Amino acid sequence: MSDVASVLRQLAVVFTEFEGRLEQTPLIRKLTRGRFELADYHAFLIGLRQQVKDGALWMSRAASNIDEDHLELRSKLMRHAVVEHRDFRLLEADFVAAGGELAVIQGAEKNIGSEALSAWMFHEASRPNPFGLLGAMWIIEGLGSIKAAEWGGLVRRRLDLPDHAVRFLLYHGENDAEHIGEFEEMLGLVLPDDKVAERIVKTARVTARLYALQVEEIGA
Amino acid sequence: MTQLRDAYITGTGAFLPGAPVGAEAMEDHLGRIGGRGSLLGRRALRWNGVETRHYALDAQGRATHSNAGMCALAVGAALEAAGLGREDLTYLAAATTQGDYLTPGHAAGVHGELGAGPLEIASFQSVCGSSLMAAKAAWLSVRAGEHDVAVAGASEFSSRWFQPAFYEGTALVDGKGRLRAEADYLRFTLSDGAGAVVMEPARRPAGLSLKVEFIDLVSLADRFDPCMWAGASVEGRTDPMATWSFAGPVAAHAAGAVALLQDFDLLKRVIRAWVGVYLQKVDQGRIVPAQVDHLLCHYSARSLRDEIVSLLEKTAGMIPQDKWFSNLATVGNVGSASIWVMLDAFLKSGRLKAGEKVLCVVPESGRAFVGFMMLEAVG
Repeated sequence: MSDVASVLRQLAVVFTEFEGRLEQTPLIRKLTRGRFELADYHAFLIGLRQQVKDGALWMSRAASNIDEDHLELRSKLMRHAVVEHRDFRLLEADFVAAGGELAVIQGAEKNIGSEALSAWMFHEASRPNPFGLLGAMWIIEGLGSIKAAEWGGLVRRRLDLPDHAVRFLLYHGENDAEHIGEFEEMLGLVLPDDKVAERIVKTARVTARLYALQVEEIGA
Repeated sequence: MTQLRDAYITGTGAFLPGAPVGAEAMEDHLGRIGGRGSLLGRRALRWNGVETRHYALDAQGRATHSNAGMCALAVGAALEAAGLGREDLTYLAAATTQGDYLTPGHAAGVHGELGAGPLEIASFQSVCGSSLMAAKAAWLSVRAGEHDVAVAGASEFSSRWFQPAFYEGTALVDGKGRLRAEADYLRFTLSDGAGAVVMEPARRPAGLSLKVEFIDLVSLADRFDPCMWAGASVEGRTDPMATWSFAGPVAAHAAGAVALLQDFDLLKRVIRAWVGVYLQKVDQGRIVPAQVDHLLCHYSARSLRDEIVSLLEKTAGMIPQDKWFSNLATVGNVGSASIWVMLDAFLKSGRLKAGEKVLCVVPESGRAFVGFMMLEAVG
């Protein structure tokens, strides 16, 4: 089955498996068990920044590899990239507002998971008509619309931080309701198609695994 | 190898203690903590939609039944509905969140109250999902040919745990006399009662029986911490070695560990996980939403947030709300007993016709568990 509803269903299952895996990472365990400290928040932001910075870049690259039969999808990806490409600055500002030094977050190296995730994204985005990346977007956008606000709320409460030190996490949760609708439209531009459907779900799985690896490696 | 037999639900029974208690009277019925009104109560009631409920404590706080006694009454009613006597019963599986005793198990208590001669018994202790754990044991016992008349019963006496003495003078009440949200919410959520089903290897000669097609149970406790629990403080709940008996009962009570508690942040994540398990069943073809004629879910549709309903609709997983049957609003949330109390009312409503499929869904927030039971009406 490769219709939009079936693919969305499989993606929803992948996402809940992903959430379960995140729940078991040392960093998120600390957060949910009330053992999260300021140093953990700093490490968290440093870990997230790499992927946030790369996000708009692989999306742009993906857009540049979409052929003229799929111009609408290309437009959507380009718009998406524009909206998000400065987000890492917000994250840096949060880091500074939470007592971190700008040079530290800007100079930090990617961890093992971030390296793998980034390499995978750019590799996929470099293929012709990289529709599988819709699966990657489902995972990463899902984090933004579902997990970020949850994490942001927990961080703010545990560390007693002001809002302006947690803007990146909190602000991502705002466009929650529109998230699925927009995504559904994008899927409709490339489905139904068995091969594309399979690739989207596979790409979501790989992206979820590598993203979880990135979080596992934070502070490890 | 011997073939497995089919097994059918041939009778259901429910027991709800006392007269219905309305939303406006329930807090006084349980007793206010330190004499103060709850901060969250109204919100909790709006969210769960419960209008009336039953308590096995009277307005003076005196118990009218034991937990086991209520279960025995429901078992007796189910046997009678099946046209059987207590002497026909050979297997009793009993479920509850908290039995009357810490030990031995609930089934022993129920057997004690029921009589019925020597029996094989099994106790299942968890939260709402323990109902289906017991049902699966009863179902498999019949299927395997071990028993010809098996009962799965479930009962709850939550209101005992909601008495003010469980909270007053503990860490659950702050300096201003306010009860922690983790404890307060559940006081407005859960109530008392019992339900039971009889399973046999043949359908009833007359009237409808329910063939059990499958009972699938999934725990996600490997990834989630306890979400609804008793026996640990809010802070100590993730460490099994910080649970009540390590400190002893007096210190545990003072720490607020002897109370039913719920983590609402975690609950949101657990709800998504339940939906994920359900969608996986749909994806595997185990559950085909279009083939489900009636849905009995121990969770009200109105409590599901919009984005969950939207997700179910967009993934072709939603069962339309006109197919949902629920009596949660009038009988209350009776924990493990709810699904049987609901099934009993559903059968009595006369809606079910031969050939129709009934899906029972029992999510348990305890530590992220969800159970599904598919039934087909025959007769």
